Amino acid sequence: MTEQWNITLRIYRQKENEAPHFDNFNMEVSPDEYVLDAVERAWAFHDRTLCFRHACHHSTCGACGMRVNGVEKLSCITLIRDIAHNGATLKVEPLRNFPVVSDLAVDMGFFYRKMESVGARAVLPVMEAEIGNPPAQWEAEASQYIRLSDCIECGLCISACPIMATTPEYLGPAPLAAAQDHGIQRKPELLSIVDGEDGVWRCHSAFECTAVCPSFVDPARRIMDLRKQVVGARLSKLFGKA
Amino acid sequence: MSQPIISSSASGPRPGENTWIWLIKIVTGPLLVIVLILHFIVNHYLGSMSSGLMTYEDVVKYFQNPIIPAIEILFLITVVTHSLIGLRGILLDMNPSRTTLKIVTWLLALLGVSSVVYGIWLALTIASKGS
Amino acid sequence: MNTTRNQPSARKFWSWFIPLRRDIGSWAFALNRITALGLTLYLFLHLGVLGLLAQGPGAYDDFLVLTENPFIKLGEWAVVAAAILHGLNGIRIVLTSFGVGVTRQKQLFYGFMLIAVFVILIFTARMY
Repeated sequence: MTEQWNITLRIYRQKENEAPHFDNFNMEVSPDEYVLDAVERAWAFHDRTLCFRHACHHSTCGACGMRVNGVEKLSCITLIRDIAHNGATLKVEPLRNFPVVSDLAVDMGFFYRKMESVGARAVLPVMEAEIGNPPAQWEAEASQYIRLSDCIECGLCISACPIMATTPEYLGPAPLAAAQDHGIQRKPELLSIVDGEDGVWRCHSAFECTAVCPSFVDPARRIMDLRKQVVGARLSKLFGKA
Repeated sequence: MSQPIISSSASGPRPGENTWIWLIKIVTGPLLVIVLILHFIVNHYLGSMSSGLMTYEDVVKYFQNPIIPAIEILFLITVVTHSLIGLRGILLDMNPSRTTLKIVTWLLALLGVSSVVYGIWLALTIASKGS
Repeated sequence: MNTTRNQPSARKFWSWFIPLRRDIGSWAFALNRITALGLTLYLFLHLGVLGLLAQGPGAYDDFLVLTENPFIKLGEWAVVAAAILHGLNGIRIVLTSFGVGVTRQKQLFYGFMLIAVFVILIFTARMY
């Protein structure tokens, strides 16, 4: 007999030309289900006008990013058991800093454009990827192997970053991480994009992006590394070694 | 259809903070820690201490040693630089218009320069009171 | 459509200072920013007050009497505490910005704050 919990899903609703408000959906769930399952249940059995995004259901597409009890999560891998208890109210809101299209679905356009501006790669050669415990010396044939980039462009980091809250101009954690992924050495044209007011110097080390990233990108570490690369490149240019 | 956020980074990054300004901020930081500790030791342990804060006479006396005004002026330049670059950084986080940024930058620069000039004048004035 | 609600805006700067439900790094950022503003305010007040020294013994020593006021003393304590917190957190930022301790930044923060509390306790004892 699977355990059953009685929870209230409190979902942010916003339609065009209407004021935003919250709707409560009371339901029975298994605590071993995911938040996304509960949201789908609210849509299927309670309110078919509820709008949200979901696709792969296993944290590779990045579509289901939401704020669950105020914290950015991928709802498809957030176990109800981990963030609620029997009789609890589960608050579900859209990601911060993105314009709301409808309810929990937000317009990701400006973020995708930033990713494009740094030439973010979805696939990269294994030898260029930062992976744990790489071989000390790559075998010659390793150069043919490629891997998917860790970043699934879910936007959780953009939502969590305190600087993204006050300025849309900041490139943001994921785009900067994507720039670091290339590296200034491999792509020198990135230098003028990331060395500026909207680039690496806008970060204030809150590390919130790394805290919420569901995909081990560790954007904060990458931003710090990118800073080192930028300083190195600028110093080289100054002393004429470029 | 929602209003898209038009990001001007599509047309190129805006000038305003770059490697050098940031480096100055990050270098003056630890420098400040050192100079602040010096300033504190000198002010509260080496001056004569009837109540913990030095009196006018105590200050004039210890300003006779030329090292003291030198350290204090170094401290002033470092702290004003660090503080005002930091303030400007906070403004940048709020996405100011180019005009606003320009005006505030000039005001902060003016404040910084005049603070340092005032401080140097003050240090020399105090030192001269002892002769 | 009221889409400005959920968009980045300078008016949301208050969220820097009240990082609810955020991780410890955001609290470090908030602390650093608050102490920065407080210290900047103090800096210019302090510079102004020191101008009294140029007016001769009377003006400055009269002012010193004011500093015996317990509220002023508390303010002075707050300034030193703020400087210690800001300084140590700033060192953490310098370290992580050059790649040192990035993966241990939380522990770095907790460690530095422990040192800060220790130093603040010592200087409080000496002050009072």
